[in-house]
Amino acid sequence: MAEEKKKLIQFKNIVKSFEDGQVVLKGVSLDIYENEFVTLLGPSGCGKTTLLRILGGFLQPTEGKVLFDGEDIVNVPPYKREINTVFQKYALFPHMDVYDNIAFGLTLKKEPKDVIEQKVMRMLRLVSLEDYAHRNVTELSGGQQQRIAIARALVNEPSVLLLDEPLGALDLKLRKEMQQELKYIQQEVGITFIFVTHDQEEALTMSDKIVVMNAGEIQQIGTPTEIYRNPVNEFVAKFIGETNIIDGVMLEDDLVMFEDKKFACRARGYGKNEKVDVVIRPEHLDIVPRAEGMLKGMVKSQLFKGMHYETMVETRVGTSITVKMQVSQDRPVYNEEKGEKISANAFLLDVEDVEELDDAKVVALASAEAWDAETEEPISIKTVEYDIKPETGNYTVTFSTANETSITVKVLVVAENRVESKVYQEEIYAMNFFKKVEDIQESIALDTDLETWASASAWSLEDGEQVEITDVKYDFDPETITPGVYEVTFSTEGYEYKVSTTHAFEEGEQVGLVFRPEDIHVMKKEGQW
Amino acid sequence: MVKRFRSMTYPYIAWIIAIIVVPMLLIMLYAFTTSGNSVLTFQFTLDNFARFVTDKVFMDVLLRSLYIAVITTLICIVLGYPIAYVIAQRGSRSNTILILLITMPTWVNMLVRTYAWMGILQDEGILNTILSWFGIGPVSMIHTSFAVILGMVYNFIPFMILQIHTSLAKMDKSLLEAANDLGATPVQAFLRVTLPLSLPGVISGITLVFLPAVSSFFIPKLLGGGQYVLVGNIIESQFLTSGDWNFGSAISLIMAVIIMISMWLTRKADVQVASQGKE
Repeated sequence: MAEEKKKLIQFKNIVKSFEDGQVVLKGVSLDIYENEFVTLLGPSGCGKTTLLRILGGFLQPTEGKVLFDGEDIVNVPPYKREINTVFQKYALFPHMDVYDNIAFGLTLKKEPKDVIEQKVMRMLRLVSLEDYAHRNVTELSGGQQQRIAIARALVNEPSVLLLDEPLGALDLKLRKEMQQELKYIQQEVGITFIFVTHDQEEALTMSDKIVVMNAGEIQQIGTPTEIYRNPVNEFVAKFIGETNIIDGVMLEDDLVMFEDKKFACRARGYGKNEKVDVVIRPEHLDIVPRAEGMLKGMVKSQLFKGMHYETMVETRVGTSITVKMQVSQDRPVYNEEKGEKISANAFLLDVEDVEELDDAKVVALASAEAWDAETEEPISIKTVEYDIKPETGNYTVTFSTANETSITVKVLVVAENRVESKVYQEEIYAMNFFKKVEDIQESIALDTDLETWASASAWSLEDGEQVEITDVKYDFDPETITPGVYEVTFSTEGYEYKVSTTHAFEEGEQVGLVFRPEDIHVMKKEGQW
Repeated sequence: MVKRFRSMTYPYIAWIIAIIVVPMLLIMLYAFTTSGNSVLTFQFTLDNFARFVTDKVFMDVLLRSLYIAVITTLICIVLGYPIAYVIAQRGSRSNTILILLITMPTWVNMLVRTYAWMGILQDEGILNTILSWFGIGPVSMIHTSFAVILGMVYNFIPFMILQIHTSLAKMDKSLLEAANDLGATPVQAFLRVTLPLSLPGVISGITLVFLPAVSSFFIPKLLGGGQYVLVGNIIESQFLTSGDWNFGSAISLIMAVIIMISMWLTRKADVQVASQGKE
């Protein structure tokens, strides 16, 4: 279809950098055909509005050409371009009524009065505001102002209408109505609409062609269906709709492996054993009894979304590590003569961390504190004495106040305690630790505190990046904990699939997941093309 | 609650009565009475007004005052608008500095600045010295209407610039883009969008320049000398030299009425501009 149409606008390698050195467009080339509804879609700051403003004539590209009907228009001022714009905040003239706003362009062209009136009234009918001709524009609602702005632009019979996030300020219901109406107006007047938005749903509903942009570059150009079904990379897949993206390996044409299982798919032209991203949309997954599932998992959570449920199914738990927590109830040392109390707990230390040790760290690790026995006012700890060597073994630390109230605790220097998960290329690290009963009882965010006390952290072995610890498990009640040894398990996020389902599932239910080969979409890994 | 707080306004009301209402009433009392009245024997009269209206000298002074004020206001608009426009076009930082430069002279007492102009404009003053280097002059400038108007424009133009600048600065820049987009050249966009939207600023600028200009008395006194008398000078001399408080009050009252009428006219123009879209 598109090939038959005439190329109306051609962006040729547009680069735009601002004075502060920020590069907003990094060489954008794009063809726009006659009578198309084209949407420039992307997150804020992706350069979509800049591209639109270059076409409108309000910005000059740093490099590149803009061809309109085959002619370079980069140096043509906006008032000589056959292009009209609907601005983000409408920019209606507040000192003119509705009629004069719409007639503005026509009076500049010195058209006869009766012609102007005919055209303005026709536009008002098109946007269904016939009765508003002599209203003050500031009295109109957002949706009405929006329509006037559209009428004011269209009355000049431009060959292209630019719309810069025109629906952003409207509420959801009005937005849906205006989407329909814009599409209708575009079909009615039969000109090219170039629409800028960050709303993927808006783009999918209205466009003939979507141009997905990110960081000053075009990611993908295609029809809404193409973009939704066959995103070219992770950015597009995540930006357009809900999605599941899984690491996979292409074994051969039409055969992909992920989660250590092989699946038939419809993808060709990848290298043998090439690492890929596998995309499965939530609505393309079905939940079945566990035995029938191509993947097996457990329902982790469920959200009611009105039309459907969004069910999270965990097919694999994350990498985890279990450490021992030694809970003690050390009595504070009481210096009766001075009326002072001091307390601290024994702690474990990694060999590698000995080098970085200082007084403040030792005080923190031991939770050392001193206070006045009567008023409970805190007293500062004046001296911290220790002689810890970077070798495993038993050491001691002595904390004392200015009045020589002191306490001595044990420090155990140990080797690393880490777990490596080779299959999923993740590593997690944590240490056994000592803690006082009160510390656990008084903790406000126990999960976070446990992570800190155990120095727990996880990272990817592929790129070394930090992986979040999403789960902390323990089998004690922090309110009533007694001295003893407890196990604490830290784990990273496993593989989860978002599934759209029509009926509810129990959390913790064991289920299976199925999908069809044609619903598996394979993409090249970001940064490898 | 509201009632309880209402009592807090009483001191202000008392203050306003003592400072504004009572003196105004006194002026009215003086204007309509003959001189030399004791408290017991008020003699009401319209003679004071009749004297002003019938005496050609006084009417000439009144017309001259109005003329000078109108000329001053026009010059302030013609000079002030482009300045305000250029400032409003600037980025916010140079914008702040320029506005500061415009307002800075007003930090110095108006009287002092007017004395400075005397020094500049005198026959042996700075300006004539400079002119003499080029073989011109000496040009007699002080004690002419030129000097008076110059002094007034100099003193009052910051008010005009600030008012116009405020209305230009708060104008949405996308309106100009919209005008350009709809086919307006920069000149057309200025005439059809910027100018009408800045009119409220121009109108309040007019109020702020015309009112002090029409009643000013020390600028004509210092820069106009004895030769160039305006209404303000007459009022001043009635109170301070002639001691005819009754006639002085009558002239003040006449000026007050003229000012009230002109304010009413500008306000009407303002409302018209504001509601232009509703017609």
